[in-house]
Amino acid sequence: MEHAKDLKPHEFLAKILVPEKQTNHICWSCKYFKPVLKGSKFPPADLIGWCKKIHWPFYWCVSEYDVVKSCYAYEKLE
Amino acid sequence: MCDIIWCKKCNTVNYLDPYCFWNWEGKVNCAECGEVYYIHMIQGHMYKGPEPRPGEKPDIHPLYADKPYDGYTNYPPGVEGKTRPYNCTPRHIYLGRADQRKFSIRNRPMRAWPQPPSAGIAGSQGFYWDIKKLSPEVWEEYMEKIKKGEVRDW
Amino acid sequence: MADPREVRLEDLPGPKSREELEDMKAPYEEYCRKLFDVGNEFVKPMALEGVRWLSCTMYIFTPHAVANLGELGAEVIKIEFPRVADPMRHTSPFNECYFYPLHDTRPKSGTGIGVLNANVNEYYISLDYHRKEAQEVLYKLVKMSDGLTECYRPGTFDRWKQSYRYLQEINPRFIYVWGGGFGYGPKAFGGSYDILGQAHAGLASITGFHEDFGGHPVKHSNWCIDWYSGTQITIAILAALYWRRKTGLGTMIEFSQVQAATRCCGYTVPLYGRFGIVRQRWGNWDTQLCVHGIIICGKSDYPDEKNPQLRNEARYVMVSAFNDPDFKELCSVIKRNDLYEKYKTHKERVRAEAQVEIYRELEKWAADKSRSEVVRILTEAGLLAAPVKNDKEVYESEHFRQRGTVRWMDDPMLGDVIAQSTYSTGLFSETPRRKFWDFRPVGADNIKIYHELLGYPISTIQEWYEKGII
Ligand code: SF4
Ligand SMILES: [Zn+2]
Repeated sequence: MEHAKDLKPHEFLAKILVPEKQTNHICWSCKYFKPVLKGSKFPPADLIGWCKKIHWPFYWCVSEYDVVKSCYAYEKLE
Repeated sequence: MCDIIWCKKCNTVNYLDPYCFWNWEGKVNCAECGEVYYIHMIQGHMYKGPEPRPGEKPDIHPLYADKPYDGYTNYPPGVEGKTRPYNCTPRHIYLGRADQRKFSIRNRPMRAWPQPPSAGIAGSQGFYWDIKKLSPEVWEEYMEKIKKGEVRDW
Repeated sequence: MADPREVRLEDLPGPKSREELEDMKAPYEEYCRKLFDVGNEFVKPMALEGVRWLSCTMYIFTPHAVANLGELGAEVIKIEFPRVADPMRHTSPFNECYFYPLHDTRPKSGTGIGVLNANVNEYYISLDYHRKEAQEVLYKLVKMSDGLTECYRPGTFDRWKQSYRYLQEINPRFIYVWGGGFGYGPKAFGGSYDILGQAHAGLASITGFHEDFGGHPVKHSNWCIDWYSGTQITIAILAALYWRRKTGLGTMIEFSQVQAATRCCGYTVPLYGRFGIVRQRWGNWDTQLCVHGIIICGKSDYPDEKNPQLRNEARYVMVSAFNDPDFKELCSVIKRNDLYEKYKTHKERVRAEAQVEIYRELEKWAADKSRSEVVRILTEAGLLAAPVKNDKEVYESEHFRQRGTVRWMDDPMLGDVIAQSTYSTGLFSETPRRKFWDFRPVGADNIKIYHELLGYPISTIQEWYEKGII
């Protein structure tokens, strides 16, 4: 993958791991967010992904309908 | 998911096992010619590399390698200096041959070798193994061991 | 003269006062040794004597459900498919182990060691349920038995007219157990394997190291969910027997293995229900207690051993010091009092980030020590630490030897063999478990059961055998 060379790791991952949904959560630009990938069948339908920080080592399910606008643990993806 | 480094210099396929390389950055050698490659994998995807880094020292060996154009000669895990050993390598006595033991670790006789067919009525096998009758040579060996004091309680 | 109807304390045997009572008591240790009398189980009665059970089972899970009954004294008849037998006989890690030819027409295939402990103290007969003649035989056995355990796909025994609703009519006291993968419902035809139970129940997803440390879901190397679910079935059977004593009625137990495995997940599922939190793996550490985990030491206990499994692996120690004084002591042993200052309360140190730091420091301290050194230092400091043992060390453990957990026996079939399973399930003062034999050849007891118990003439049995019915 020659073109991947100039991408930062998270940009690279965003390119190959396409999320299922797009919402207004601030989690999308947070370092600790792990999105539900496109085409996933298993997780409950209203999840956009998991927060890996708030309850680490456990994962907190981020719901599509409970929009996180601000968060004490937010860290911007650099 | 398992990625590979296909060494174009010697046409060897080096396998990168996911348990080790899932999230990994560093240098891996080719098992055949020793050429060193830099790779960076993120979540099982090759993010950067493989780029040849001739002359540098590898951080790790591949687990396994083979040469598909060469009748599948291969390097199994644990070839010194070429592939990585399993952390838990097999016992030194594990030779891949059936090892039919006649005595337990405390030197008392056990049954673990093929027996001649000996069924009674309606195919029913006896279930008491009379060692003296059925395997006289093992019995003799056992007596010998008792004499030598090799038979232990534990 | 004293009134003979009057009972006087002085005339009774035994202690006369509280002080005397105390005096006469043996020390608890001695009392236990005498009470349980390990090694002499065979002179005591057996709790389930008089119970007769049929075992139409395969592999480990359902057989083990019945082996529990057999070890407790029930008379168990294991029914295997003629000439083929329980496939577990051929599922063996060591093909060199070989006990008797399966039968005379297959002299080259015997029974492997993998089947050990799953069918203890049972009688072995063979029967092909597909055949018309087999039905009468099975019905006769059902009439004189207390129950049956089977593991065929859901509805198979029903199709063969030998499910609970048929057998109940000929024996209303009959207890019927089906054990398998999913049971009725959306996945009725899914099979059952230990690994499936671990995967489907979510157990594997919380076993192993965390994703952030490069971990993947892990299954237990041994088929622990088979052994575990089998035991759960035994508990169900004992409850059914008790219920039958009160009501005179049988029960059908429908037991899904993948369902049973969810019980091992503890709080995992309710946690999700309450907070939407997905529990993750936490490897050799603990999410509820810290320090309470397994660390690796730098040096092996057997550095010169030829066997690499001993040489490389004897390096792990289990350490527990989670309450404040213990943790303080641990920090001072590893000369990191600053760690204690930093994480004074358990709440602080149980946090994941704190654990990462604390265990890293512990392993740094252990990097130039061997496993036994670490255990010795920590034990001398009054902390709980134990080596992570392998089976060689389990075999050598004095604790297990004294309590009879691991012992040698002379099996009529296998010869010299270590018995550990039967004697690992608690000691009984009155009716201890015991092992008479492990397993027998296919159809070993055909004559005993068909002729001596059911009364069929030998010629008929011979004829069945030639026709392949048994
Ligand atoms: S830390 Fe906050 S912003 Fe980041 S993923 Fe978790 S909930 Fe979202
Ligand atoms: Zn090469």
